[in-house]
Amino acid sequence: MNASTPNFSAKALRKTVLDMAYAGSAVHIGCAFSIIELLVVLYRNHLHYPGNDPLAANRDYFVLSKGHGVMAQYACMRELGWLHNEAFTGYFSDGSLLKGLSDSRIPGMEVTSGSLGHGFSVGVGMAMGAKLRSTEQKTYVLVGDGEINEGPIWEGALFAAQHRLKNFMVIVDENGFQAMGKTQEVLNLGNIQSKFESFGFEAVTIDGHDEIAIDNAITQFWASNSTAPKALIAKTVKGKGVPFMEHNNIWHYTRLDQHTYMQALEAVAGNAL
Amino acid sequence: MRDAFSDTIVRLAKADPNVLLLTGDHGYALFDDFRKECSSQYINAGIAEQNMVGMAAGMARAGFRPIVYGLSAFVPMRVVEQIKLDIAHDQLPVMLIGDGAGFVYSYLGTSHQSTEDIACTRAIPNLSVYSPADRFELIACMDLAYKSKVPVYLRMGKSDRGDVHMGVPQAKVGRLLEVKPGQCGDIAFIATGSLVHTAMNIAADLYSDAVVWSAPFIKPIDHQQVTTICAQSRVVVVLEEHSVLGGLGSVITEIACELAPVQILRVGVQDRFSEHCGGYEYLLKEHGLDRLAIEQRVHDFLKKTAH
Repeated sequence: MNASTPNFSAKALRKTVLDMAYAGSAVHIGCAFSIIELLVVLYRNHLHYPGNDPLAANRDYFVLSKGHGVMAQYACMRELGWLHNEAFTGYFSDGSLLKGLSDSRIPGMEVTSGSLGHGFSVGVGMAMGAKLRSTEQKTYVLVGDGEINEGPIWEGALFAAQHRLKNFMVIVDENGFQAMGKTQEVLNLGNIQSKFESFGFEAVTIDGHDEIAIDNAITQFWASNSTAPKALIAKTVKGKGVPFMEHNNIWHYTRLDQHTYMQALEAVAGNAL
Repeated sequence: MRDAFSDTIVRLAKADPNVLLLTGDHGYALFDDFRKECSSQYINAGIAEQNMVGMAAGMARAGFRPIVYGLSAFVPMRVVEQIKLDIAHDQLPVMLIGDGAGFVYSYLGTSHQSTEDIACTRAIPNLSVYSPADRFELIACMDLAYKSKVPVYLRMGKSDRGDVHMGVPQAKVGRLLEVKPGQCGDIAFIATGSLVHTAMNIAADLYSDAVVWSAPFIKPIDHQQVTTICAQSRVVVVLEEHSVLGGLGSVITEIACELAPVQILRVGVQDRFSEHCGGYEYLLKEHGLDRLAIEQRVHDFLKKTAH
């Protein structure tokens, strides 16, 4: 596919998310905003799609396992030329393409998510496949911290470590919230980095909104001599970029009205991220 | 049937290096040949079925042809959502083998018995459901599943009931196979899996004009063929080692009631769990699926429908 020059700026992507959320009266804005910088760095610097083809056989695999952040991925896919403007202006209109959670039938999305804990295992399978074929393909799976309540995540972690899947990286969006409250208060995860380390991963914790830190961590992981799978724990802020949404879990569910939409646009425009 | 299964997976894997066998720490001895001859294509995913099925989806997306083996009580029952979302949604070419279906694990109780699996899987779009009766149907089903490149759940039940075919049948996906000829206008027995053999024995001894069909394909199934069978029969008796809710009996009834209404006796598990422990034959008796109990039910049904 041909892409005009993608604009992977966090500010532009947040504006796209706001526009489509307002157009579709969609929820999960906070979930999308916590992963914007992670996606910026992945799509701009690391994910390899030969010929800009989201279905290229030797592509890297990016699995958005926390499908609730899908609007952030849609925004990136538009920058790549994989999705067109009509899909955004008509978001949630009858018969439209893009759903409120990721759908694997759309090229660029590797899983149908929303039911949590699936994408991790699918990604482990992809990484195992790449290892069996001895390709250079990398697999990245982005999960939420709430999502890792799910058992299959830890089943997959055992497998990835057992089979030394050094081409596999889980990125945990640790925004501290899940649907009904703080992760600490629902099922306390404790130290996520040490949990993955104890499962045999090479793990590091970084500021998930610091693009340089994210980029350095990913680069260092792939440069590592270790054969362990990788876990990048990204400390993030749910609703990042719009002060009245930050750390406020109602933006898991709340829809924008004209007033909050305008306020949010202003905040994003003035926020030199 | 288990030897045929082992031979077939070895043959498929040797012919296609993309074939991978995943097991959830089950299949002791069953995979000795496979591990010896195709060791790089064997993956024990551990006691972690949800992850195993999700991984199979990832491997299929990466171009592999996974065959996922588990006990029917776990694959598909424990992983229905992974099958639905990760595999069937994208029509990925994954073959899911559920072994020990029905009451094979008669001594182990409810956790290992599986009489709901057809009902659960056949409601999933894009997923085919096969239920072979003997080693020959098993080979035909596996070859068709491999060639078709669609997601298939293959149910393996009691494996030592004897053959119902003389050799590998000329099977076509969806088609029922005649295993005993009969007269038009008489009884049609339609059975799947372990009870095909029982149906043949009952028909041979008691209803010589009855025709017996084996249904190795629960879904898709040839509606036209089922309609013709129902239209040409006085009564239809459907037999399966599975719940009467949602299994083959339901499939036949659903088609017949729209296209060829006929009186149908559904012989299967009556919406209940096993109560007691015992051998396989004992469990069949408990559920009224032993030969004598089925004979009695057919007798009573024919008496009732004669009026």
